[in-house]
Amino acid sequence: MDQAPAIAVRELRKVYGAKAAVDGLTLTVPQGCFFGFLGPNGAGKTTTIRMLMGLAPPTSGEIELLGLRMPSHAVEIKKQIGLVPDETLLFDHLTGLEFIEFVGRMYALDRKVARDRARELLALFELSGSERKLIGEYSKGMRKRVAMAAALIHRPKLFLMDEPFEGVDAVGARLMKEILLDQVRHGATIFLTSHVLEVVERLCDRVAIINDGRLVIDESMSALRSGSETLEDIFVRVVGAERHTEMLDWL
Amino acid sequence: MNGQARAIVWAQVRTMLNYFPKSNKSGLVFGIAVGALWYGLWSVFAFAAMTVLSEPGDPKAMTLILSGGLLLVFLYWQVIPVLMATAGASLEIRKLRVYPIPHAQLFLIEVMLRITSSVEMLILLIGVGAGLALNPRIPFWAPLALVPFIVFNLCFAAGTREILTRIFARKRIREAAVFLLVLCGALPQLLIMSGEHSRLETFVRSYNAPWTPWSATALVAQGGTALVNVFVLLGWTTLAYLFGRWQFERSLSFDADAERATTTARNPGALASALMRWPSALFADPMGALVEKEIRSLSRAPRFRLVFVMGFTFGLVIWLPIAGRGEAGIGMMSQNYLTLVCVYALLLLGDVCFWNTFGFDRRAAQFYFVAPVRFGTVLLAKNVTALFFVLLEITAIIAVCALLRMPVTGLKLLEAYSVTLVISLYLVSVGNLTSTRNPRPVNPEKSMRSGGAGQMQALLVLVYPVAGIPVFLAYAARYAFESELAFFLVLAIASAIGAVVYWVSMESAVAAAERKREEIVDRLSQGDGLIQG
Repeated sequence: MDQAPAIAVRELRKVYGAKAAVDGLTLTVPQGCFFGFLGPNGAGKTTTIRMLMGLAPPTSGEIELLGLRMPSHAVEIKKQIGLVPDETLLFDHLTGLEFIEFVGRMYALDRKVARDRARELLALFELSGSERKLIGEYSKGMRKRVAMAAALIHRPKLFLMDEPFEGVDAVGARLMKEILLDQVRHGATIFLTSHVLEVVERLCDRVAIINDGRLVIDESMSALRSGSETLEDIFVRVVGAERHTEMLDWL
Repeated sequence: MNGQARAIVWAQVRTMLNYFPKSNKSGLVFGIAVGALWYGLWSVFAFAAMTVLSEPGDPKAMTLILSGGLLLVFLYWQVIPVLMATAGASLEIRKLRVYPIPHAQLFLIEVMLRITSSVEMLILLIGVGAGLALNPRIPFWAPLALVPFIVFNLCFAAGTREILTRIFARKRIREAAVFLLVLCGALPQLLIMSGEHSRLETFVRSYNAPWTPWSATALVAQGGTALVNVFVLLGWTTLAYLFGRWQFERSLSFDADAERATTTARNPGALASALMRWPSALFADPMGALVEKEIRSLSRAPRFRLVFVMGFTFGLVIWLPIAGRGEAGIGMMSQNYLTLVCVYALLLLGDVCFWNTFGFDRRAAQFYFVAPVRFGTVLLAKNVTALFFVLLEITAIIAVCALLRMPVTGLKLLEAYSVTLVISLYLVSVGNLTSTRNPRPVNPEKSMRSGGAGQMQALLVLVYPVAGIPVFLAYAARYAFESELAFFLVLAIASAIGAVVYWVSMESAVAAAERKREEIVDRLSQGDGLIQG
């Protein structure tokens, strides 16, 4: 069956003042793909993901998610997306359980279903012990875990994840990876940004690297692995980060 | 209300219930007491309105009274939040935008939240409605006309808030918008001064023209069955809804990050640079570095810039009507016009300079606790910064007065500086206590304060008069002895007492900060909820 790509962006551009944060990005992510979106700090990753989430309108270009155009079908698209946003989009004064239940209800789940699923997800992410704790009191890793648990509650087809492993300990990261791989096996698509290249190398089918707002690599992981370079070598080479650092005299 | 809207309300209630056990009990009690007093006062007004309107008086007179009253309600609802640079509670759209919620649902909640910016008017209108319902001359259904009038005000306020929030999110345009507001405020005065007062009078007298929303409401609320009045009222309500919805949609697609980035940071000019470096020339480190940092941080915070500009522009204009009056009472006010404007500026600056000095730069609070600096030095640096900006504000006010060729004598200058500084001394003393005992995280990028205007006015009614008692005594001495010497002598005594009060409050604030450092850092690192208010 001819499936629409999970993500299709054409000539996407986002300009902040005189600077183009994203400059003519064209990208296609097929459904069922585990896609890694990489780039150095300030390359335009978060801006891209914010545009995909509908948080920032693009200056120009087209976005199509699961065959539907943004922003004209924003509500239908959002119903099928699971978000692991940056931490600022969490609600600090709700407990983990309340937050996940709230997100479930935002996706129009019945209140009882949302609460039951919230409990199950908390248990799955090993957060049951912190059920009554406020999110504001969570550690960074726990915040990421609760965000991912909330993203799963409505069984989305597409996940958009901004640095999901940031601050997560090894045990938590292993758990999250297993859950994500399981989602991909069941047909979901995952689009994630990460600075942890080892994780991307191990999980992703396909990788894109963005630098100064422009796409510099969009390859399958198998094609990238065919050479002698590691993903880290390729990343450093394409973003031009090999610089000589001189020690400061006084240091 | 559908499931999503119910879920938002539920989550907000949970947020408040979760926050309650962690909130500062004394701050909470004070807040409740201030709220009870303020809204109690408005309940008295509502009761008075009910008593007056329940009498079957002359219908024409009642139409005039009701039209005028409803016009004042409209003005209060729409203008006071602007005057106080406050936006009331509102949805945290940034957080909710990621979910599949129809915009109509969000708008409905946002409109309901506009009540928070003018609870006083709702109380008053309940009194008006009750009075009309008790009036034997008026049919029972007639007071229902107040419902579309409330909807009209809510939608209009929602639209205005969206416009202002977007304007104030834009660098430079924000400052220009304040000047535009000043011009609007100055227009009536300019008309009077240019001899065009007859045109103004005609305009003011037409307040009860039947095409106005308040007059149409007044007529229908008394049982008037003329369809034209009903159409006028519903027409205004529909227009306000369309306006509010249109502005809300524009805000949903507004990218504040892009707006903030449109003007890239520039190196400050020589004067600005010198203004920011003076503390290091005057004080030894760490004091010099701390004051310099505070000046840099505050002068870059949009909220601070807005209230600072408002202080010497808007403040001058709104008090202008009393400047030229010669009647007793008002005549005395006009003599003290300059001081009055300076004290109003203190009210505006209070939120950013006195009451919550760690709220704007909350990450810095954490640094202050780990840096090898005495906490008292940090507080002192913040107070020096506050006084510096107060002095700068007074100077700006005087400069504008001089530009407008207003009569400003040397004695009046001295009076304005000394009165404002003495009140500031008491305000920083109270501010040190509130900043360490009840710190609140504030987003410095938001120009408009999210709390309701009523809270600010309650502060005006309660805290400022208390802080102003020593100054009041100085004025009483001047009046009693008809002597400037007596005035300045009492002011000098007030400042000496103020210094003692400051010293005591500083000791107490430092002790509280040392004792509650973990709580302070914890509170300042809390993020926003679903509704900011």
